[in-house]
Amino acid sequence: MTTEFVWQLPVSGDGRYGEAARTRRGERAGPAHPYSPGVTDPRGQRFNFFDHLHQVARAADLAGFDGIRIPEDPFGDEPWIVAGYVARGTRRLRLITEFAASRGSAVYAAKNAASFQRFTAGRFAWQIHSGGTAAARRVLGDFAGDEAVLPRIEEFVTVARGVLTEAPYSFKGEHFEVLDGGFRGALSGQLVPPVYLSGASEAALRLSARVADVHVFDAASPPEIRAAITRLRALARESGRSVVAGLRIDLVARETEAEAIRDAHRYREQAGQETEAPASTGAGLWQGLNRRGTGAAATLVGSYQQVTEALVDYSGAGVDSFLLSAVPHLEEAYRIGEHLLPAVRSRIDPEHRRVA
Amino acid sequence: MTIDVFWRIPTHGEPSSHRARTPHRGDWFPGDDSRRKPGLAGSGDDGFGYIDYLAEIAHAAEIAGFQGGLIPSFPMTDEPWVISSVLARETTTFRFMIPFQPGFLNPLVAARMTASLQRATGGRALYNVITGAGGPEQLWWGDNVMHDDRYGRTTEFLDVLRGVWQGGPFSYQGRFYQVEDGGLPDPLSREDFPEIYFSGSSDAALASASKHADYYLSWLEPFDKLKAKFDRVKERTAQLGRKIKCAVRVDIVARPTEEEAWEEIRRGFDGLGREVIERFGRPNGSESVGAARQRAGLPASIDSYRDLIIEPNVWSGFALLRGGQTNGIVGNYEQVAERLDQLVQLGADAFILASTPHLEEAYRVGEEVLPLIRGSTGAPALRAVG
Repeated sequence: MTTEFVWQLPVSGDGRYGEAARTRRGERAGPAHPYSPGVTDPRGQRFNFFDHLHQVARAADLAGFDGIRIPEDPFGDEPWIVAGYVARGTRRLRLITEFAASRGSAVYAAKNAASFQRFTAGRFAWQIHSGGTAAARRVLGDFAGDEAVLPRIEEFVTVARGVLTEAPYSFKGEHFEVLDGGFRGALSGQLVPPVYLSGASEAALRLSARVADVHVFDAASPPEIRAAITRLRALARESGRSVVAGLRIDLVARETEAEAIRDAHRYREQAGQETEAPASTGAGLWQGLNRRGTGAAATLVGSYQQVTEALVDYSGAGVDSFLLSAVPHLEEAYRIGEHLLPAVRSRIDPEHRRVA
Repeated sequence: MTIDVFWRIPTHGEPSSHRARTPHRGDWFPGDDSRRKPGLAGSGDDGFGYIDYLAEIAHAAEIAGFQGGLIPSFPMTDEPWVISSVLARETTTFRFMIPFQPGFLNPLVAARMTASLQRATGGRALYNVITGAGGPEQLWWGDNVMHDDRYGRTTEFLDVLRGVWQGGPFSYQGRFYQVEDGGLPDPLSREDFPEIYFSGSSDAALASASKHADYYLSWLEPFDKLKAKFDRVKERTAQLGRKIKCAVRVDIVARPTEEEAWEEIRRGFDGLGREVIERFGRPNGSESVGAARQRAGLPASIDSYRDLIIEPNVWSGFALLRGGQTNGIVGNYEQVAERLDQLVQLGADAFILASTPHLEEAYRVGEEVLPLIRGSTGAPALRAVG
């Protein structure tokens, strides 16, 4: 496949340049008034963070990304609603909507997905996550044991694909049941949402080998990623399938290496996070810089050229789906779209190379 | 008192009149699986989808003065959660009435979706909670809880939804739902809880409605039966120390003269095949109490559209023309408004109206009928929108 580049929506708030603390731009619900007395503020309660999320999605579309990931964040807005909210304002973006298989009936999820596909010309995709620890799942009304989490995802995907592609369709499993189901009429024949799964365990890889379209790896060094992809591909071959390898990674890319390092340091100090800078504190992969902010395990820090090289290396290791983010997401969508994507694409994609 | 009037979004397809099933604007209509493009430009891919037509209707409804609209959900229709979020930015005052069954969603997910939709729309989401007919139909949706349990589950579902709404921490040990220290995060927790329109005619339904519903929603039934039902709901709710309002979901055909209105019905009826009419009026094995109550009182043989007039200006054959609930009001603008006033006097506080085609008729009804509604006080009584 053509390598895809996916941006991310900061559903629970975003930092700004030189300021790691997260705010919800446009949010007017609170009592805090940002201006001095006497300075007029015409906004009233007219806007909130949804307006800004819409801006970020548009920016990603305009800047040439192929998709946008709408993560499930317990402190943020609900991804399916956000996906619908940005659907009409975007034209090309794949809307990768994250949720857990505990959300309810798989048939109902598939039916909602069919509407999404009808309204977006087939741009809707799913990222299904495990729901976190058992305690975190109970907070979300999910009392399934650890051993049930992966099998439930598999049943969920099986049932959703079943009702989207066959009628009548019946299934009776541990977690989901449907009798004489399947969509007819206008809801039939809609694209099954591409399924993104993740997880580093052997069981997670085996699950992806059986049912995922894309398996997303957390950021790690290119050799580690190459080894993981080799394992994924071997397992997928056993299932007679192929699975695209994805990489979830953050970027701090600036015109010069020095600027990038300065900004990364400032961000780390402000965020107060336990990050491991590389020994040289130079360009390269910084662990945990923004894990709590964007969810990425590591961040590529460097000049445009350095970060471009690093992304090309990952491509060489087998990554065909890059799930990127950077703070602040609106401004950085343009920066990455302008300064990195054309260069990376021209290096890794023969089509682009010819044009470039 | 105030009266809220809603419109309906025709998720189940849209013929261009009550008189005939073709031409139609949707890309699908029951009984006609031929795909059409919702734009009227022809058979090519013009880039439009049915959602573009639905967007026109929603905007027409808010321009014409409706509170918003019911967005029905059936096995063959698009889903109201998606329609609501997709149309959030294209509407200003339109309130999205979302029907759904508790068995479809984890209540914690439903709470987050709803709060986010409130944020996305400035508080324009509301529910039509349906518990469903039960039986094999329910398994189509992937739901396997039996009928009387189902209302118990509805009650628990709404218990949890309310419990987590303002932030928690909320814990719950129900038969169907459990949660441990759950709650909506700020700022989602600041949103208003959505109004609940509750559907269901059985005793189990009424018990559940009494606890959680703001409005008890019924299809139109013969007026005396409807009054008895509303009285019963209000009485049961009062026993719990709560108040409940009542709402009627009703199709209408309103024209400048009564003759024109009935002519619309006559043409629609005369275009039906004999077997369609004979099948109508026979029970279909559904468990729905509401459907049976609507069918009660039909004559044994139906030879003319007039045989389906069950009281002045009330025609009982709408299900023949486009499916769904079957009793509707037919008349000139004044007559339709008078019948609605009569429903107000016997206990209705809100209406969900519908007429085909929903785009043009939203304007007609908004312009010609809504201004004539006096409510029970004799004074104009519509609640301001927005």
